[in-house]
Amino acid sequence: MDFYLGLVQIIGVHTLLGLSAYCVLLTGQVSLAQAGFFAVGAYVAGMLTVLGGWPLIPALAVASLAAGIVACAVGFPALRVKGLMLVVATTAFGEAVRLFFFNFTYQLERGELRIGPHGGEGFRQIRYFPENGWSTLDVMLFIWVVVIAVMAALWWMDRSRIGAVLRAVGEDELAAQSSGINVTAVKVSAMTIGGLIAGLGGGLFAHYTTHIEHVQFGVVLATFAVAYPILGGLSNVFGTLIAVIFIQGFLIEGLRFMGDWRNLLFGGLIVLAMIVRPRGLIDAGTLVALKRLLRRGERAGA
Amino acid sequence: MIDFLQNTIDGVMTGASYALLALGFTLIFGVMRRLNLSYGPSIMVGAYLGTLAHLHLAAGPLGVAAVTVAGAVLAGLYVERLCFAPMAAGAGIAAMVSSFAIWMQLEQAAILVLPRHTYPFPPLASATAWLGPFLLRLDQLIMLASALVLALGVQALLYGTRFGLALRAIIGNPTAAHLVGIDVRRATVLAFALASAVGGVAGFLVLASDAQVTPMFGMWATMKGLIAMMIGGLGSIPGALVGGLLLGVVEAQSQWYLGPQLRDLAAYVLLFACLVWRPGGLFGAAPVRDLARGRSL
Amino acid sequence: MLDVADLVTAYGKIEALKGVSLRVESGRITCLLGPNGAGKTTLMMTIAGILQPRRGTVRLDGQELTGLTPARIVAQGVALVPENRLVFPQMSVHENLLAGAYQRRGRGEIASDVERMYARFPRLQERRAQLAGTLSGGEQQMLAVARALMSRPRVLLMDEPSLGLAPLVVAEIFRIVGELNRDGTTIFLVEQNAHMALQVAHHFYLMEQGRVTFSGTPGELAEDEVVQRAYLGARRAAG
Repeated sequence: MDFYLGLVQIIGVHTLLGLSAYCVLLTGQVSLAQAGFFAVGAYVAGMLTVLGGWPLIPALAVASLAAGIVACAVGFPALRVKGLMLVVATTAFGEAVRLFFFNFTYQLERGELRIGPHGGEGFRQIRYFPENGWSTLDVMLFIWVVVIAVMAALWWMDRSRIGAVLRAVGEDELAAQSSGINVTAVKVSAMTIGGLIAGLGGGLFAHYTTHIEHVQFGVVLATFAVAYPILGGLSNVFGTLIAVIFIQGFLIEGLRFMGDWRNLLFGGLIVLAMIVRPRGLIDAGTLVALKRLLRRGERAGA
Repeated sequence: MIDFLQNTIDGVMTGASYALLALGFTLIFGVMRRLNLSYGPSIMVGAYLGTLAHLHLAAGPLGVAAVTVAGAVLAGLYVERLCFAPMAAGAGIAAMVSSFAIWMQLEQAAILVLPRHTYPFPPLASATAWLGPFLLRLDQLIMLASALVLALGVQALLYGTRFGLALRAIIGNPTAAHLVGIDVRRATVLAFALASAVGGVAGFLVLASDAQVTPMFGMWATMKGLIAMMIGGLGSIPGALVGGLLLGVVEAQSQWYLGPQLRDLAAYVLLFACLVWRPGGLFGAAPVRDLARGRSL
Repeated sequence: MLDVADLVTAYGKIEALKGVSLRVESGRITCLLGPNGAGKTTLMMTIAGILQPRRGTVRLDGQELTGLTPARIVAQGVALVPENRLVFPQMSVHENLLAGAYQRRGRGEIASDVERMYARFPRLQERRAQLAGTLSGGEQQMLAVARALMSRPRVLLMDEPSLGLAPLVVAEIFRIVGELNRDGTTIFLVEQNAHMALQVAHHFYLMEQGRVTFSGTPGELAEDEVVQRAYLGARRAAG
C-alpha cells in the first residue's frame, strides 16, 4: 500500500513541477530553469523546518516565495532571448543553481548530530513528517490538497483575462505587443508564477523524500518538467496531470516489471505520442469531443 | 604567469574537443533549426560500440575510432528517423521532447549492454613533452590538430562543393531551397550523418584521452557541445571553434584559480552572460538570430 | 500547357483552395488577381509542391505534377519566384544563381547561363560577389527571377513580384516580365497591381476566397463592373 501512496505522492509533486513549466509555456517560452526553482524551494523549505524549527506551512510559503523571487530575478535577463537561446540560457541557470547547492554547506550542531545541507553529500534528515507523526497517507493527502489548490487557481487564471493575455503573448508576440500588452512584464510574471509553483513543489519534495542532493535537480528533471505540459498539451491544466500520470505512473512504474528494458520502451512511447499528437495528448479538439461524449451520455441517461 | 599560460594551453587543448562537438551541433542546428538533445548520447552509443570492439575483438585505436564514428553515425540516423523526420513543420518543441526521450533510451541501451559504470577505452598516445616550462600531451595535440583539420574540412565542404551549396541554401531559407530544386530531405539526412561523424571523432578523441567511458558521456557531450555552440553563435563554423576554445580556457583557468567545484559553475555563468549580452553568440549574425524565433525552435 | 483542375488545399480544417481550376497557355502571360487571403500564394505553393493538395490535379503538358517533390517539379520545368523573393541572404549573388541551377548538370552550360543572366540584369553583375541579403528590394526581386530562370523552366510562376517595391522599380520588373515573355517564356503571374498587370498579361483570372470567380481577356476584365470597382476603381477615380 505504501508503495502506491508513494507513487501518488511522486505524481502530485511532479504535477506541480509540470504546471510550473506550463505557466511559462503558455507565453511561448521553453524554460529549463524549473528544476532550479524546484531546488531552491526544496533547500529553503528543508532548512526552515530542520534548522529553523518552523512549522511546515509557513516554511512552504517562504520556500515558494523565495523560488518566485529567484524566477523573477532570472526572468528579466533571460527573457531578452527567445527560443533555443532561452532553452540554453535557462539550462545554464538551472545547472548553476544545482552546482551552487553542490558547493553549499551550512550545518548546525544539534546534540550529537550535525544537520543541514552538506555540499555534495546533500541535505539529509529532513524529518518533519515522521517527527510530527504524519502517516504516508496524511502526507499524500496534504500534497494533493496543494496540487488541487494550484490546479484550481491555474484553471481559474486560464479562464480569466490573465490567461487570455498569457496565451496572446504565446500565440503571437508581435500582435500582442501591438495590441498594447507589455510583453516583457507578462513573460516575467509567467516565469514568477512558475517559480512560485516550482518552489512549492520542491518544498514538498524535500519533506517526503527526507534527503535531497544536487544530482536530483539536474537537466533530466528540468527536461521532465517541460516534457509534461508539452506531452499533455497546453489547452488546459489537466493535460499536464495526464502526462505526469502517463509518464510516472504508466511508463515508469507500470512498466517496472520490464526491468532494465523499461527505458527503451519509455523513449519509444514518448516519441510515438509526439508524432501522433504533436500538440499534446489533450488538445482543444479532445475537449470538444469529450464534451460531446458527455452530453450524449447525459441524454442517454435521461 | 607560467601557471596562467599553462592553464591556457590546457584549456585550448580541452577546448578543441568542445569545438568539435560544437561543430557537429552547429551543422544540425543550422540545417534543421531543431535542438537535438540526443546528439551526445548518440556519440556515446558509438563509443560503447568502440569499447565493445576493444574488449571483445581487441581492436586497436584506429579500429576503435572507426567503430566509434560509424556507430555514432548509425545512432544519429536512428535519432533523425524517430525524432526529426516524422515531425511536422512547426513541431520543433515536440521534436526536442522526442530527442530527450531517445536520450533516455540510448543511455539505458548502453547500460543494458555494458552494466558496469565505467569501461576502459583504448588510449591514443600517452606521450608528453616539455616545451620550455610548458607540459604538452601528445594525445591532446592530436585533438587540437583534428579539430582544426575537421573545421577546415567542413568549411571547404560548405563553401566548395555542390552539397555544401545545398546545405547553405537550406540554412538560408528552406522554402527557397525546395523551390530551386534541392532535395531538402536527403540533404538534411546527409548533414545529420556528417554531424554525427564529426561528433564521433570528437567523442573518440576525448574518451581516448580519458581512457574510459561511462553512460554519462552522452549528457556531457550534449552539454559541452551546446554551450560551446551557443557562446560562438548558432550555425557558425568559426563560432563553434572560438566558442569551444574559449569555453576550454575559461574552465581551465577557473579550475586553477577557483577550484574544481566552481569550474562548471564558471562555465554556466559565462554562457548565461554571453547569451544575455550578445544573444546571437560571438559570431552570430543578424539572420542567424532570426532562426531562433520562439516557435521555430 | 499548365492545367490546374479542381484543386483543394487545406490548412488543418480550413480550406484555402476550394476547388480551383485554371489553365496557363503556352507562350503567354496569364495573370491571377485577387485580394489578400484569397488563396493565391497557397495556389502557387501547391503547384510548386511545397504544399500538398487534398484533392485535384496539376498537369504540365498532360503530365501529372501532383504528389511530386518540389525538386522533381523543378526538374519537370516549373519554377516559382516566391512571394517576398526569399533569396539566400548569406550567399553571394553568384552563388544564388548557381543554386538556381541545382537540378542541372554541365558546368559549362550553367556558366554560360549565368553570363546570360548578367547580360539581362546588369545590376546583378555589378553585385555578383555581394551577399544577397544586402541587396535592395528591387535587386533581390531581379535576383529571385534570375535564380528561377537558371533552372530553364518551361513555365515561370511569379508570386507578387511588385510587392513592397517603389513604382519605378515595379515598372522595371514588369518591363522584364514582358521581355521574358517575348523571348518565349510562359509566365503565370500573381498580382494585386491590376494596372501594371493589364499592360502585359494576355489572360486574367480572378480569385476570391479560394475560388476562381472570373476568367477573361484584358478587355473583358476592364469591362467587368465588379472587377472595375474592386481593382481599378480607386485608381481611375484618382486620375
